[in-house]
Amino acid sequence: MRYGIAVNTENCMACYNCVMACKDEHCGFATAVSAPQPHEGQFWVNIRSKERGDDNRKVKTSNVAVLCSHCADPACARAAKNGAVVKREDGIVLIDPEKARGQKQIADACPIGAIYWNEEFQIPQKCTMCAHLLDEGYAQPRCVEACPNEALFFGDLDDPDSEVSRVIAANRATPLPPLAEEKTNVAYLNIPTVFLAGSVYLPGDETGEDPAEGAAVTLTCRETGAVTSVKTNYFGDWEAEWLTPNAHYDIRIELEGYQPVELSALTDTDHYVQETLLQK
Amino acid sequence: MSEVISYTNTLGGPAQIQVVDGKIRRIRPIVLREDDPKGWVIKARGQEFTPPRRVTMTALGLQDKDKCYAYDRLLYPLIREDFVETPDGKDRNTQNRGKSGYRRATWDEALGLVAREIKRVQDTYGKESVTACTGSHHSWGLVGYKLSAFKRFFNLLGYTQVLDNPDSWEGFHWGAAHVYGHYWRLGCPEPFDLLEDCLLNTDTLIFWSHDPDSTHSCYSANEGNIWRKWFKQLGISVIYVDPFVNFTAVKQGDKYITPRPGTDSAVLEAIAYVWLTEDTYDHEYVEQHVHRFQEWADHILGKGPDGVKKTPKWAEEISGVRAPVIKALARRWASTNTMGGSGVRVGWGGACRTDNGTDYSRLMVQLFAMQGMGKPGRNMWTANAGGPMDYNFWFGGYSDPRSTIANQPIADKTAVNCVEQKLYRATLPEAILDGHDEWDGDGFCGQSLEQQFNHHVYPLPGCSKVHLLYRYGGNFFGTMINTNRWGEMYQSPELEFTVSQDMHLTPEGKFCDVILPACTNLERTDIGEFCSSGNSGYASHGQTGNNWQVIVYQKKAIEPLGESRSDYWIFSQLAERLGFGQDYTEGRDEEGWCKRFWEFSDLSKRIGWEEFKERGYYIPGVPENWERRWAFRWFAEGTECKMVRDECMKEGKLGTRTGKIEFVSELLEEKEPDDPVRGPMAFYKPSREGYQSPLYEKYKLHLITPHPRFGFHTQYDQHNKWLWEVPEHRQVVEGMPYAIIRIHPKRAAERGIKDRDIVRVWNDRGEILCMAKITNRLEEHTVHLYGSSGMYEPTVPGERSPDKGGCANILTSPGMIGGRHIPGMTPNSTLVEMEVYKEPLVPGMVLNDLLAKANGEVK
Repeated sequence: MRYGIAVNTENCMACYNCVMACKDEHCGFATAVSAPQPHEGQFWVNIRSKERGDDNRKVKTSNVAVLCSHCADPACARAAKNGAVVKREDGIVLIDPEKARGQKQIADACPIGAIYWNEEFQIPQKCTMCAHLLDEGYAQPRCVEACPNEALFFGDLDDPDSEVSRVIAANRATPLPPLAEEKTNVAYLNIPTVFLAGSVYLPGDETGEDPAEGAAVTLTCRETGAVTSVKTNYFGDWEAEWLTPNAHYDIRIELEGYQPVELSALTDTDHYVQETLLQK
Repeated sequence: MSEVISYTNTLGGPAQIQVVDGKIRRIRPIVLREDDPKGWVIKARGQEFTPPRRVTMTALGLQDKDKCYAYDRLLYPLIREDFVETPDGKDRNTQNRGKSGYRRATWDEALGLVAREIKRVQDTYGKESVTACTGSHHSWGLVGYKLSAFKRFFNLLGYTQVLDNPDSWEGFHWGAAHVYGHYWRLGCPEPFDLLEDCLLNTDTLIFWSHDPDSTHSCYSANEGNIWRKWFKQLGISVIYVDPFVNFTAVKQGDKYITPRPGTDSAVLEAIAYVWLTEDTYDHEYVEQHVHRFQEWADHILGKGPDGVKKTPKWAEEISGVRAPVIKALARRWASTNTMGGSGVRVGWGGACRTDNGTDYSRLMVQLFAMQGMGKPGRNMWTANAGGPMDYNFWFGGYSDPRSTIANQPIADKTAVNCVEQKLYRATLPEAILDGHDEWDGDGFCGQSLEQQFNHHVYPLPGCSKVHLLYRYGGNFFGTMINTNRWGEMYQSPELEFTVSQDMHLTPEGKFCDVILPACTNLERTDIGEFCSSGNSGYASHGQTGNNWQVIVYQKKAIEPLGESRSDYWIFSQLAERLGFGQDYTEGRDEEGWCKRFWEFSDLSKRIGWEEFKERGYYIPGVPENWERRWAFRWFAEGTECKMVRDECMKEGKLGTRTGKIEFVSELLEEKEPDDPVRGPMAFYKPSREGYQSPLYEKYKLHLITPHPRFGFHTQYDQHNKWLWEVPEHRQVVEGMPYAIIRIHPKRAAERGIKDRDIVRVWNDRGEILCMAKITNRLEEHTVHLYGSSGMYEPTVPGERSPDKGGCANILTSPGMIGGRHIPGMTPNSTLVEMEVYKEPLVPGMVLNDLLAKANGEVK
């Protein structure tokens, strides 16, 4: 039995249900495994949102609910004295509020900033995966229970048939960079890399241009040689996700009966490349 | 340690409450039990769709514990420090309302004063000299609601009623109803069984001015989220049209289109141009169901008086939406089964709250008509209601006249208001300050189209003006228009006495002479159904936006905090002092009234009273082969409607003169053939306040103020500090939570505005301070600030001065759709300017000082 959470960022709408459920559970209330969380200032689960894109014709957001990853070999435990951080047999990492008093280095040790320093109590605090509720028989932590978007899943990572294991297996693993080499009990899924997008139009009459549906758009990465092929949709829009960051792409747009067009773009960030008007 | 479980309804879904040692420990979504009924199953395209066995809540509902224990809760009756109970109502320092502090009073003192003043004013000037008005849903429950406990009290007393304006759907109410006659739903279409129809038949959804992930079908929590997942699963293409790439669009939109605010009608006309020239509309339907189509088609094709073809290129120049995008949208709409509409109830959305909103709304209906509205897979629908339901199970809801304690059968005797005089909410400040008001329409015109032409005069001949204002719940600074006027109204000596009854110290509360502290619905007993406005009301069957129909016994979880009391208790006490206590209560306490709702509904046929109370909630479930009442199918097929609201529907007709969809309205042609705003035929007109108006010379940014993502009406925003930590909502600087205003990088750069700068946003009506967020999610001339601010913090308290609360509605246009003749608000036709705020910030909040002072006497 190893408790774990899967964070499917693709489904996260940044509704803040998880944040509010967590605050409802912990702000002002001690539990069997934690001291009270201050009313404001701590986010044992937090939404980190990023706007993607430089043009309102293609703009997206990436929302990642970040919480303690309950690492297999936690940096916070290594930094702790007096055994103030323990990893339970079920995988949950807990900070003992008594033993951890004064140990600010525990908070500083977390590579993803998921541990908060409580000035009033002089203790480090973080997500407990609601261990006190699980121990009482609750089916899942408060954040997972409150999620209406299938963005958070909880269960036994040792059981390959559990929902959480199946979700992890079926999605793209995208660990937070500081934890890329760590074994954790929280899996971050589908955090995007970079997209390029654009639109392709055809010359029209006095009523305006027409959308070019079905144009082939081929993106070739100069650095890796990887080729991504997409087609324009009925709006004439194309979009290529999961590109290599900080790379140069050569883009070729082809549609039968029209002259091909060649473009290039850099994936320093997400771009709407341009509108392209094809000519016969 | 004692733990007690009970249930309640919040504005963000039903909840389970756990109380430990008399204090609320946690508030959670209801986890269904084994013996709750099975969920409905929709079979479509080889798949089965059934909802998860859970009832969702929103991030707001999950904060109801925090809202109950909030820092701005009112715990004691308060009386304005410099209020003087003069015998003639004069010289009461009314100019200090909004500035003065308060002193704590006993209930006896406060209720005694309120009762004496009601009596004095009515004895002096007549019954009609008392007025009272309410927000909607500062809490939830059939006993405590404004149409129940409040209405029973004021109807028995006799008062000048304040008519609500249809503030969320003005354009559809004053416009669309004239096209398809759905006045019985106040201009909005019907949703019945369209979830199943969509899953079976629809290929494309167009959500125009609609952000379902933020507005939650009004009160349906996050029940519809799973529906949107199913759309994706089936490959249904979802297109969003909104000047702001809103929170649903940015994550789930297959396409988003960002027209300049107020130009939506031009885009709609260009879509029709494509259909007319490419011959891709439903001729048979139009011939059978549309009245005077050709006159309008001529206008689109450039054969009308203006001689202009409404081509996509023409619309592009007006709206900024590229012609190929308009063509693609038009072709997709026509070539596939398409559903769509505007906003929460299909006939809502910010685009209809504009000065040309009646054109937009009418054209929206007309376009859906051209594609066979009511045929399978083709309808007006925005995935907000229309889930399966047992139509034969009746419980009642807040706007159903049969489910209020004001009326029979819940009460033994219906409480009837003896005063005929009316006021109109949107122009209440003018009425008070000018002593005169005139307007057309009875507010919500749900009885007939002609009702929109009823002329009202205040004061009614022979009647007195009002001199006492009683405010019940909410904050109109945040929801009405040009709202600095509300402060000026409160400071007028015309209002000899003002009372606020609410749970929290609201911005309007600060302008009242007496503040009566009500408790939240966690501290009193009530009964109510999740997202049900009542199935005889104007928005009937709203609970079909839920996957689960949940009726809750809202058992009092804890004792009222401090000396706060339930609204019902407060009204009972006042009624007692005014001599009609027995008539008010009919000898019932709150639980006694709750039992009446059970008794007079189908609930009592399903579950015993004690068992229901014990269980805490009841889910009636949906029979396996539930009866379908497909929206508008009856009209498309010319058969009798199963949801008959009007005689004509028995013949398969709509509520217009002709019973058809009128592209040229017979009624409007008769009543106002030359009306420049709402003539008989809808077409694009530039906004009277917009980029084509003279004011644009001075103010270059178009402000839109959509319904909020992190607030409900004006609830939560001021009360819940956790929301001030949400970067998309507010951010605290020097003790003040500044509202987030969004601006495009180009416009920000022109003004030297950086991300997170405190900015002043102003026009001739006022000035507010906000925090700037620079984003590419906007049409580039648009600035976006959520309306319904719960805060109003003028830097100089009680005076026109920069508002730190970010109350957008200080800036919104007082111009109505058609003046007092078509008195709909137009908040999204507002121009502003914006610059970096360079003065030193005024730290903290006045609210805190007031509360500390009021509570300081307690220590």
